[in-house]
Amino acid sequence: MDKWRYIAKRLVLSLFTLLMITFVVFFVIQLPPGDFVDTLVESMVAQGERVTEQEIIQLKAMYGVDRPFIVQYLDWLSGILTGDWGVSYFYNKSVISIIGETLWPTIMISLITLFITYAISIPVAIYTAKHQYQLSDYIFTFLGFVGMAVPHFLLAILLMYLSFKWFGTPLMGLFPEGGIVSWASFLEFLKRLIIPVIVISLSGTCGLIRSIRAQMLDEQERPYVLCTRARGVSEKKLTYKYQMRAVLNPIVAGLGPMIAGIFNGSTITAIVLMLPTQGPVLLKALRAQDVYLSGGILMISAILVVVGTLISDLLLAVLDPRVKYIEESK
Amino acid sequence: MVNSVLKVEDLKIEIKLDEGMLTPVRGVSFEVRENETLGLVGESGCGKSLTCKAILGINDKKCKTTGKINFSKDGSEINLLEMKKDSAEIRSIRGKNISMIFQEPMSSFSPLYTIGNQMSEVILLHMTKDKKKAKELAIEALRRVGIANPEKRYNQYPHEFSGGMLQRVLIAMALVCNPNLLIADEPTTALDVTIQAQIIELMKQLQKEYRMAILYITHDLGTVAQICDRVAVMYLGKIVEIGTVHEIFKDPKHPYTKGLLGSVHKIGGNNERLFSIEGTVPLAMNLKDRCSFYDRCVFRDENKCNRPEPCLKEVGKEHSVACWLYESNEPHEKEGI
Repeated sequence: MDKWRYIAKRLVLSLFTLLMITFVVFFVIQLPPGDFVDTLVESMVAQGERVTEQEIIQLKAMYGVDRPFIVQYLDWLSGILTGDWGVSYFYNKSVISIIGETLWPTIMISLITLFITYAISIPVAIYTAKHQYQLSDYIFTFLGFVGMAVPHFLLAILLMYLSFKWFGTPLMGLFPEGGIVSWASFLEFLKRLIIPVIVISLSGTCGLIRSIRAQMLDEQERPYVLCTRARGVSEKKLTYKYQMRAVLNPIVAGLGPMIAGIFNGSTITAIVLMLPTQGPVLLKALRAQDVYLSGGILMISAILVVVGTLISDLLLAVLDPRVKYIEESK
Repeated sequence: MVNSVLKVEDLKIEIKLDEGMLTPVRGVSFEVRENETLGLVGESGCGKSLTCKAILGINDKKCKTTGKINFSKDGSEINLLEMKKDSAEIRSIRGKNISMIFQEPMSSFSPLYTIGNQMSEVILLHMTKDKKKAKELAIEALRRVGIANPEKRYNQYPHEFSGGMLQRVLIAMALVCNPNLLIADEPTTALDVTIQAQIIELMKQLQKEYRMAILYITHDLGTVAQICDRVAVMYLGKIVEIGTVHEIFKDPKHPYTKGLLGSVHKIGGNNERLFSIEGTVPLAMNLKDRCSFYDRCVFRDENKCNRPEPCLKEVGKEHSVACWLYESNEPHEKEGI
C-alpha cells in the first residue's frame, strides 16, 4: 500500500503545482503594459481608422479587460477547470480548438525527438566512457561541443538548403498537402520529419552524452565496482548490470526538464521550418496580448511538463530502492 | 612443513605520472600459509592496499606490475600475474579461490540491488547454475555469520543494514565459495570499536571452520595482535620486518616497527605522551639510494646507514629485518623506546 500512498502523494503535489502555475502564468501574461484592446486600437489607428475614447471603453468592457486582475484570473481559472478555456481575441476562435490543431503535432514531434535523443545519447555515452581519452572519445567530444554550440535555426536553414540542393525540394512543413492518406504520403511525412527531429534533438542529445559519460566515469570509480570485480564478475556485466543501472536514475530524473526544453526550445526552429506546432502560435498570441490563447498554450505546456516530472518521479521510485526508503523515513 | 597458499616474490608496482615514475611497491616478497593469518601492517600510502589488489589483478590499468604471485590451486602453482587482465581465467579465481573484503562495507555493495541478488550472483558465477540452490547457499552463509532472520534480510537493500551488519554480509559473501585465501583490506577500520571486536572474533571462528589463509591488511596494531599469526611490516613499498606476532610485539627490531609500537596506547601504561614517528611517508618517487627510513629514523648511524637499501636478513627463527643496524650480527646497544 506504500506504493499507492506514494503515487497519491505525488499526484496531489502535481495538482497543487499546476494550480500555482495557473496564477503565475496569468500574472506574467498580464505584466506587459497595455492589453489586447490597446494592441487592437493601435492596429486600427495604424490602418487610418479613428477610435474615440468612448469606443475604447466600450471595447474594454466587451472584452472584459477593464475588470480587476484577480477577477479576471478567477474567471479564467474557473473556465480552465470546467473546460471553457476562453476565446482567442486574435483568431476569434475558441482557445481549445486552436490548441487542438497544434497540440498533436507538437506532442508527436516532442516524443519522437525525446526517443531519438535517448536512443543516440545512451549508447554513444557508454561507448565514449569506455574509451575515455582515446581517439574515438575525442572525436565524439568534439562533435558534441559543436552540436551544443550551433544555433538551432542556423542548422535548420543549413539542412533545408542541403535538402533543396540534394533532393530538389526544401523539406518544409510537416504534413504533406492533403494529409496522410496513403502510403506515399506517409513516407513523405516521415521524410519531412527528419530535419525537425535532427535540429530539435541535437543539442539535447549532445548535452546528454556529456552528462551520461561523466556519470559513467564517476560510477567506474565507485568502491563497489572494485568489490564486484574482485568477486569475479565480468566487465560486461559490471557495465550493463551495475553502472548502466546507476546512470539510469539521473536520466530518468531529467525527463521532466527535458520535455520542457524540447517544448519551449523549438519555437524558432518551428518558425523557420514552418512546423504546425505550438511555439509559433504562442509567440503570435503573446505579441498580440491575446491573454486567453497564450494562457491556454502555457497551461498545456505546463501540464505536460508536470506530467513528465510525475512520470519520472514514479519511475525513479521503481528504479531506485533508496527513494522509497527516504519517503518512508520522512 | 605447512604448505603455502600464496607466495609473492619481488612484487613491484610502478605508476607512470607526468612528474615521473612512482614506485609505490618496490619489491615485496612474502608467503601466506594454509590456515594462518598474515598481517600486513604499515602507514597509509605504504603500498599495502596496492599489493593485495595486485594479487587479484584489480589494480588500475595505470599500475605496471612485475614479479611473481604464485597461488597454489588444486595442488599446482600458478602465477596470477601471468594471467591476462579480466580474462575468464583470473575471474574464475576471484571470489572463488581468493576472496577479498574491503574497508568500507557501506560502499562495497551496489545500492541498487538487494543483498541477495549480489550474493547469489557470486554463487551462480562460481558454484552452481541452480538459482534456488544459490539462494539457499546465500541464506545459509548469512546465517553462519550471525545475521538474524536471513530469509528476510536476503531481500533487503544495503541501505537497510548497519555498517557492522553489512561487513558481516560481505564476509558471508567472501566465504560462500569456500576460498583458500581471504584478503581482508582493513575490514574493521570503518566500524565502531565494539563491532570491530565482533567482526574479528567472527573471522577467527570462520577461519577455524573453513581452514583458509587470511591476508589481513591494516594499520591498526591492536587488531593485529588479536587475529594474526605472523606480521609483515611495510614501509614505503617494502617489507622492513617480518616475523611472528609474538616476536614482533615482544622484540621489534626495525626502528620503524619500534616507532609503530611506541605509538600505540597501552592499558595500564603510564600516561606519558605517545611516541610518534617524525615526518611523513615520503612520495615513492626519485628516492635516494640509501635506506628509505633514514630521514625519519631516530637510531640512524651516519656511518652505517647511509648506504643503499638493506635487504631482509634473518635475526631469529621466523624473524627477519631489513636494517643496516643489525648487519653486524651483534645486538645493537640502543634499545627500547
